[in-house]
Amino acid sequence: MTLHIVSKSPFSSTALSDCLDAFGDGDALLLIEDGVYALSGRMAEQPAVKPVYCLAADAAARGLQIPASVTAVDDAGWVALCTEHNPIVSWFK
Amino acid sequence: MPRTAGHFTIRPRMKFSLAVYSAPHSAQAAASALRFARALLHEGHELYRVFFYCDGVHIGSSLSTPPQDELDLLAGWQALQQQHQLDLVVCIAAAQRRGVLSDSEANRLEKPAANLAPGFELAGLGQLADAVAQSDRLITFGG
Amino acid sequence: MTKRLLALCRQAPYGNALAREGLEAILAAAAMEQVADILFCGDGVFQLLPEQLPADIEQKSLQRNLQALPVFGVEQAFICSKSLAQRGLDIDTLVQGELVLVPVDDSAALIASYDSVLSF
Repeated sequence: MTLHIVSKSPFSSTALSDCLDAFGDGDALLLIEDGVYALSGRMAEQPAVKPVYCLAADAAARGLQIPASVTAVDDAGWVALCTEHNPIVSWFK
Repeated sequence: MPRTAGHFTIRPRMKFSLAVYSAPHSAQAAASALRFARALLHEGHELYRVFFYCDGVHIGSSLSTPPQDELDLLAGWQALQQQHQLDLVVCIAAAQRRGVLSDSEANRLEKPAANLAPGFELAGLGQLADAVAQSDRLITFGG
Repeated sequence: MTKRLLALCRQAPYGNALAREGLEAILAAAAMEQVADILFCGDGVFQLLPEQLPADIEQKSLQRNLQALPVFGVEQAFICSKSLAQRGLDIDTLVQGELVLVPVDDSAALIASYDSVLSF
C-alpha cells in the first residue's frame, strides 16, 4: 500500500488536500518538514485519515506537540515505513 | 512487516534510489534527502543511486561555501559517497541550464570554468529511468 | 523485471520548471521502453489547456513535449476528474491529439497499481 509523504503546510499549499483526495484504504500518511504544521489544525484532534505518522525531529524543530492520534517516528522509523509500503508518493508543492 | 528471529529483528535489505529536486540551502528537502540517505544506509539498506534533478543539481556544485556553523550539504554527500561508493548522478540537461559543469563539459561548451564537485558525475535522464527499474523503492525529495 | 512507473504531475506550466522537467523525465523513461504513465492532478491539469502561446514570455510551449509522448509509446494520460471539476474544466475542451486523456475518479487505486511514483 502507498506511503504518502507530505512536506508542505496545509495552510499554504494544496499538498495535503490533494494527497487526502488520493488516499486509499491501507495507505499511510507521513508528515515531514512544513507538512508537520498539519498538527496544529483539525488533524490534531481527529485525523482525516489513518494511520498518520510524523517525523519527530521536524515537529520538535518547529515547536509543535505531536498529538496522541499521530505516531512520532525518527529517521530509522521513516526508513522502516518506506520498506513497509510501496509505492511512495511525495507531495511537496 | 519486520520478522523477528530470537532477539533480533530481521528486515529485508532493500535497494533504494532517491530523486532530489531541491536547491541546497534554500529548501529543507535538500537536507532531508541527505538525512534519509544516511538513515537508510545505517539501517543496512542499499542506496543504488541518487539522481539530482531540477534545482537539486546545485547540490553538486563545488563552489558552495556555507558558514562554518551551518550544515555543509556538499561535504555531507561527498563523505557518504566515499564511505559507501554511492552513485551520485547530476542530470546533465538540468545542470547545463543552471551552470553546473564538469571539466569536459566546460571545455566542450567553451565555458570559462567547471564546478562539478568530486564524487558527483553528470549523466542523462536515462540514469533516472534505470534507477526506477533497478530499485525496490524510489523516493522523490522536492519542494 | 519491468517496473511500472507513474509520473504524478501537479504543476501548472511556465510558472516554474517542474512541469517541463517532469515531462522530459517521462519522455526519457518511455524512450528506455519502461512502462511510464502520467497522472495529471491539481494544477497539473492546466498543462492540457489548448492554445498556449508562451512566446511573449520567452518560453517554449509545453505542447510539443505533450505531443511527443505518443511517439515514445505513452499513448494515454490519466487526468484527475476532481481536479478538473475544482477548476471548472471540461475534459473535452482540453488539448486533443494523439494523446488520449483518460479521466480518473479513484486516484488512490490508480497510484497503488504502480511500482514507483515520481512526483513533479
